[in-house]
Amino acid sequence: MKGFQLTALAAILMFAPLAFAQTQPNSSAEEETLKKFDHNWLDAEKRLDIAYCEKNFADSYVLVFPNGQVYTKKQWLDILRGPDHPVITFLDPEDIKVHLHGNVAILTDHTTLKGHDSKGNSMDGEFNVFRVVIKKDGNWQAAGVVMNALAAKK
Amino acid sequence: MKFAYGSAAYVLVIIATAALALGQSSKKTAENDEAGTIAVMDHIWLNAAHNRDPGTMEWLFAKDFVEIHPGGEIVDKKEQIDQIRDPSRQIKEIHPDDIDVRYISSDVAMLLDTTTIRGLSGGVDYNGTYKVIRVFVKEQGRWKAAGAGIAPIKP
Repeated sequence: MKGFQLTALAAILMFAPLAFAQTQPNSSAEEETLKKFDHNWLDAEKRLDIAYCEKNFADSYVLVFPNGQVYTKKQWLDILRGPDHPVITFLDPEDIKVHLHGNVAILTDHTTLKGHDSKGNSMDGEFNVFRVVIKKDGNWQAAGVVMNALAAKK
Repeated sequence: MKFAYGSAAYVLVIIATAALALGQSSKKTAENDEAGTIAVMDHIWLNAAHNRDPGTMEWLFAKDFVEIHPGGEIVDKKEQIDQIRDPSRQIKEIHPDDIDVRYISSDVAMLLDTTTIRGLSGGVDYNGTYKVIRVFVKEQGRWKAAGAGIAPIKP
């Protein structure tokens, strides 16, 4: 009987940390997930993948351009799917920093953009970007963006 | 008898619908209350900046706070509070308008506002209006500011 009790106790002690680890996602793994999310997000915008954006942008999504112009999810996706969409040839986030607060993460990154608008005007630039990503029903969704243009290097 | 069953079913449907509507409306009211709290937190944040009140900022900002200033400077909690303390920086006016709480849950809120600033910082003129996304998180039952991204509104 004593042997059975000891075995049961050992099993509980062995599995308890495992169960705890499953309920508390590893924050560095979560950070990697969010960095990947940032890359996937910009890749989708570059290749005008509206289906990806529809699925992975929150309804509350809002985008603030470096000139203060604001776009909601519908307004921004209408531009990307419309005839006057920008042509983006390069869009890459670097130096991504993840600030994780449970069900929301703030990402800051340095994004390089190369491309032009529908009239051929260059959109090339370097930006420091503030991104808000929220977790809803277990999935991360893009919720907000503020872009800040950096002065050109001399 | 058939009529009695029919009436009972009818009453049940009314009760169920009323309960559902009541539940939805009380949830909506709670969300509105929280959104109101978040709007007040926005004012507290900017008042603390205007009054050069590092104590309130220390209380308000989450440990891993981050802000991107116009021009792209990225600052953490300590750097932001140090800037508020810096006597060479002058904020004559700073206040939010058009506060739009875009997202709210039990522990996360995100708002968009238009912030007006009149001031000088490190010799740079900050006079103007800005579009700002601010993020709040609930920690141990209290809302804290997690970060802000600021872009100037250009004419």
